[in-house]
Amino acid sequence: MLRFALRRILMAVPTLLIMAVSVFVLIRLIPGDPASLMLGDLADPASLADLRQRLGLDQSLPVQFGIWFGNVLQGDLGNSITSSQPVLPLVLDRFWISARIVFVAVLFATAVAVPAGVIAAWRQNSTLDLALVGTATVLLSIPTFWLGLLLLLLLGLKLEWLPVVGYVSFTENPTAALLYIIMPVMTLFLHEMGVLIRMARASTLEVLRLDYITHARAKGLSESAVLWRHAFKNAFGPTWTLIGLVLGNLLGGIAVVETVFTIPGLGRLLVDSIFARDYPVIQGCLLFVAFVYVVVNLIVDLLYPVFDPRVTAE
Amino acid sequence: MKLPAPNAILGGAIVGIVILSALSGALWTPFDPLKINFAARLQPPGPVYLLGTDEFGRDVLSRLMAAAATSVWISLLTVTAAVTAGTALGVFAGYVRGWTDRILMAFNDALLAFPGILLALGLLAVIGANKYGIILALGLAYTPSVARVVRGTVLSLREKEFVEASRVMGNSEVFTMARHILPNCVAPLTVLATSMFGWVLLSESALSFLGLGVPPPAPTWGNMLASSRSFIAQAVWLGIFPGLCISLTLLGINLLGDALRDKLDPRMRGV
Amino acid sequence: MKKTIAAAFGAALVTATPAAAQTVTVALNADIRSTNPGVNRDDNTDAVVLHMVEGLVGYKENGTVAPLLAESVSQSPDGKTYTFRLRKGVKFHNGADLTAEDVLWSWNRYMDPKTDWRCRSDFDGRSGLKVEKVEAPDASTVTMTLDRPSALFLDSLARTDCGMTAILHKSSVKDDGSWDKPVGTGPFKFGEWRRGEFVTLTRFDGYQSPPGDKPDGLVGAKRTALSEVKFLVVPDASTVKAALVSGAVDVAQVLDTDVPELKKAANVEVGLFPSATKHTFLFQTRDPLLGNVKLRQAIAASIDMPQLVAAVSNGNGRPNNSAVAVTSAYYDDVQRKGYAYDPAKAQQLLKEAGYKGQPIKIIANKRVHVPSFNAAVIAQAMMQAVGINAEIEVLEWATQLDRYNKGNYQMMSFSYSARLDPALSYEQFSGPKDKQPRKVWDDAETEALIDKASAISDPAERQKIFDELHRRQMEATPLIIFANGQEAWAHAKRVQGADPWEGKPRAWGARVVAN
Repeated sequence: MLRFALRRILMAVPTLLIMAVSVFVLIRLIPGDPASLMLGDLADPASLADLRQRLGLDQSLPVQFGIWFGNVLQGDLGNSITSSQPVLPLVLDRFWISARIVFVAVLFATAVAVPAGVIAAWRQNSTLDLALVGTATVLLSIPTFWLGLLLLLLLGLKLEWLPVVGYVSFTENPTAALLYIIMPVMTLFLHEMGVLIRMARASTLEVLRLDYITHARAKGLSESAVLWRHAFKNAFGPTWTLIGLVLGNLLGGIAVVETVFTIPGLGRLLVDSIFARDYPVIQGCLLFVAFVYVVVNLIVDLLYPVFDPRVTAE
Repeated sequence: MKLPAPNAILGGAIVGIVILSALSGALWTPFDPLKINFAARLQPPGPVYLLGTDEFGRDVLSRLMAAAATSVWISLLTVTAAVTAGTALGVFAGYVRGWTDRILMAFNDALLAFPGILLALGLLAVIGANKYGIILALGLAYTPSVARVVRGTVLSLREKEFVEASRVMGNSEVFTMARHILPNCVAPLTVLATSMFGWVLLSESALSFLGLGVPPPAPTWGNMLASSRSFIAQAVWLGIFPGLCISLTLLGINLLGDALRDKLDPRMRGV
Repeated sequence: MKKTIAAAFGAALVTATPAAAQTVTVALNADIRSTNPGVNRDDNTDAVVLHMVEGLVGYKENGTVAPLLAESVSQSPDGKTYTFRLRKGVKFHNGADLTAEDVLWSWNRYMDPKTDWRCRSDFDGRSGLKVEKVEAPDASTVTMTLDRPSALFLDSLARTDCGMTAILHKSSVKDDGSWDKPVGTGPFKFGEWRRGEFVTLTRFDGYQSPPGDKPDGLVGAKRTALSEVKFLVVPDASTVKAALVSGAVDVAQVLDTDVPELKKAANVEVGLFPSATKHTFLFQTRDPLLGNVKLRQAIAASIDMPQLVAAVSNGNGRPNNSAVAVTSAYYDDVQRKGYAYDPAKAQQLLKEAGYKGQPIKIIANKRVHVPSFNAAVIAQAMMQAVGINAEIEVLEWATQLDRYNKGNYQMMSFSYSARLDPALSYEQFSGPKDKQPRKVWDDAETEALIDKASAISDPAERQKIFDELHRRQMEATPLIIFANGQEAWAHAKRVQGADPWEGKPRAWGARVVAN
C-alpha cells in the first residue's frame, strides 16, 4: 500500500516538472509582456527598460527559469507583478474561496445524486428512472455560465432576493457571505447533479448485474438489504473516482462561474493574470492547480480499495 | 425491425436540426449576420426579426445559424484532430510499452492536467486568434483523453489470442495493429468522440464567454452570450437564445451518445 | 417580501450609522495596484492615491497647471530655475509640518532607482529634460534647476501617472526603506486596504486646503465634508449598474449603453464628463498599402465622424479630429476643422491611389470602457460602403499593445491616455520610427515644431504652432483622431458634488444630502 502511494507520488513528479517548464515557456511565447502592459500607452523606452530590469525580464530564459524554479523548491512562488503580493498566499486565499464553493456544491450534489442514481438503477426503466435520467441529462447539458446568468437574472435582478454585488468574506460578515455564495453554489450543484446521478446509476446497474448480487439474493437477503449493503457501497467506488475528477476539473472550469458572479476565486485569478501577463501568478496558479489535481487523484486512488475490495492496488 | 430507442430518436432529431441549421447557416440566412443596421438596434422578437436584433441591429436568428455553422465546423475538426492524434499516440504507446510508453504517458498526463484556458490562450496568441487556432488548442487539449482510451484498449487486446495468432502467422506489427486492434477501438472511440463533440462545443463557448474564443464580429453562441451581458436588462432575448442553442445541442449530443453507447458498448450501458 | 430580505441583509452589509452618515462608496472596476504614488500604478490607483497625497503643483479643471502645495511658483529669467514658495501651515497626516526638507527628501527618493518611480526618466535626462539640482534655501522655499528651459516641466510634475510628484513624509517608508503607507498632505488619510475588495480612506481633520471656494481639477477647495470614503472593487459593469440602483454603491462610472436605463432609476442621476483621452484609428505609414497618403485620406473621407462618434458613445460624444482636446485652453477654430465626410471624394481618392481591393486589417480589442471594437465595426462598415475591403481582427489587449509597440499593424483602433498639454499630446504619436516603432507620425519638421512648443512658454506662440501642427496632421493623415473621451458617471441622488475629473473620481467635494 505504501509502495503504491510512493510510486504514484513519484510518477507525479515528472508530470509536474513537465508542466512547470511548458507553462514557463508557453506564456513567454505569448506576445505582450507585463512591463509594457503595466505602462500601457504611456511607455517610453527608458521607463520600459527600467521596469523590465526590475522585473528580471531582461535576463535570458534559462536564467529566469532557474531563478524561479529554485525559489519554488524552497516554497517561494515569487511575487505578483501587478500587485507585488507574494504569490503563494494569494493563490491559497483565492483557492480557499473557490474551494468552499466547489466543496459545498459537490457535497450537496453527491448527497442528493448518489441515492437518486441508486434508486433509478434499482427501478431501471420505470417512470421514476426515466424522469431522473431525463432531468440529469438536461441538467448536464446546460452550460454553467448560462445557468449562472439565468439564476442571476431571475433571483438577483428580477426578484431581487439575492445580492448581485461580488463577494463578502466570511470573516467580515457570515450572513452576508452566505447570501453571496448561494447562487454560484446552486449553479454548480445543479450541473454536478446531472453528472453524478448518471454516474451513480451506471455503476449501480453494473454492480446489480454481478454475480455476487445474485448470490446475495439467492441467500435470501431482502431487496433493500441487497441494495444498501452491497450495491450502494460499490456504486460509490467509481462515483468516488468521478468526484475526484470533478473536483480536479472544477478548479479549471470554475473560472466561468466566478466570472458571472464576480467571485474573486482561483479561476478568475488565473484568467485575470493571463490577461495581465502576470507571469509569476500564472505559473504559481497552474503549478498549484496541477498539484491539487494530482493530490486529489492520488487520495481517490488510495481510498478506492476501501470502497471496492475487488480492486487491489496493482 | 426493432425501433431505435427513444433517446436515439430525440437525440438524433435535435442533432439533425442543429446540423441542418449549420449547413443552412453557411449557405443562407434570413439576414446577413454581419451587416450593421443601427436603425434596428435591440428590437425584441417580432414578425420581421424572428428572434430580435442585437446592439448593432443584426438579426439574432441569422447569427445563431451562422454561429451553428462555425461551432459545428470547429467541433468537427477538433474532434477529428484529437481522435487522429490520440489514436496514433495511444496505439503507439500501448503497443510499444516500456520506457517510451512511460514517457509518452507522463507527457500525456501533464497535458491532461493543463487547464484548457491557458493552452488555448497561449496557442491562440502565438498563432493568431482565429478558428484554426482554437481547433489546434482544443484538439491538443483533448488528445490525451483519446490517447488514454485507445491505449487502454490496446493494452487489453494485445495479449489476446488472435493477436498472437497474427504474429505467429508472420504478419508485421503494423498489419496486426491495423487489422486486429484498431477495429476494436472503433466502438469506444465512437462513444468518446460523440461526448467529445459536446465537450468541445462547450469549451469553445466557455472560452468565447471569457473573451478567449473565436473573436467577433464572427458569431459563435459563446461570444453572443458574452456580448449579451451588457444588455441583459434591456434585451433579455440576447442572453436567452444563444444559451438555449448550446443547451439543446448538448442535450441532443448527450442523448445520441447514450443511444450509441447502448448499442455499441453494452458493457457501458447506462453511463 | 423580497425587498425585506434584501433590506435586512443590506443592513448587515453597509456600516449602519445614524443620521446623514457622511460616507460615500465609489466603485472601481479593478483593485488598486499599490498605495505608493507613481510607482506601481494604473488609473484606478492614481485616483485613490491622489486623495491622500499632493504635489507642489497640480492640474486645474481645464488642464493647466496651478500651484498646490506651493503657494507660488516663479521662474528665473533664463527659464531654467524654478522657485517654489511653500504654503504655510500645511500638515502631514501624522501632524508634522510640511517643510522644504520634506520636498527634498521626496524628490531624492523619486530619483533613486530603487524607488522605481515611473517618471524618473522624464527628469534625469534620458528622455530629454534633466533636473540638475534641487535645493532648499530655507524651510519654506525649494528651487529646482533644469538643464534647459521647458514649457512642460510643471506639467510633468503635475502628471497624475507620476503621482503628482507627491510630497511625502519620511514615515511613509519603513526603516529598511521599503514602502509602508502614504503619509501625505491630502484631505484623506489611509484607512484600510482589503486586497481585491476595497480601500477605505478617512478624513484628515488637520487638512489645509489650497485657496478657492470649490474644487478645481485636483486643486481648488479640497476640504471634505465626508468622514470616510470607500472605494469598492466591482469589476463587472452589469454588477455596478445593479449596485447603483440598489444603493450599495454611490458613485460609479457606467457604460454608455447603461445610461438610458439608469436615467429612469428613481434614486440615481447620470452625468457626462469629458476627458482628454484620444480615441483614434492608427495607420502604419510604412505599410506598402497604407504608406500611400491618398489611401489614408480616402479612408478619412469615407467615415462619417458625427455618426461614428454618436454610435460608439450612444449619442453622448462629439467628434474631434485634433490632437488638442476639446476641453483644452488651446482648442480654437483651427482645431475645430476636421475631416469632411465625402464618400464620392473617397472613391476618387481610392482611384488615384490605385487601390485594387486589397484587404486592410483593422486591429481592435474588446475591453469594456474603450470604444475600440465598436469603432472598428462602424468604420469597417463605412469603409466597405466606398469599396474598401476592410477586415477586423480582434486581439486581446496585451497582444494588441505588443503589436502597437512594434508598429506591426496596418490599421488599429486605439485609445491614447490623456496628455493635457497639447505638445505632449502630439508627442505621444510623433517621433522617429526607427528608434520608437510605436510612433505613428515620423516627420522631421513635425518633430521640430513639437520641440519648439515644448521649449517656449508664450501661449500665443504655442497656439500658432499647434494650429500649424493640426493643419499638417489633416494633410498627412498618419492617424485619424475621432473623439476625446466622454464618460458617463452615475451617482446616487443622496450624494452630491462627487463629479469626476479626467476619468478619476473625486470624493473630497462630495457630501451626503439625505439618507
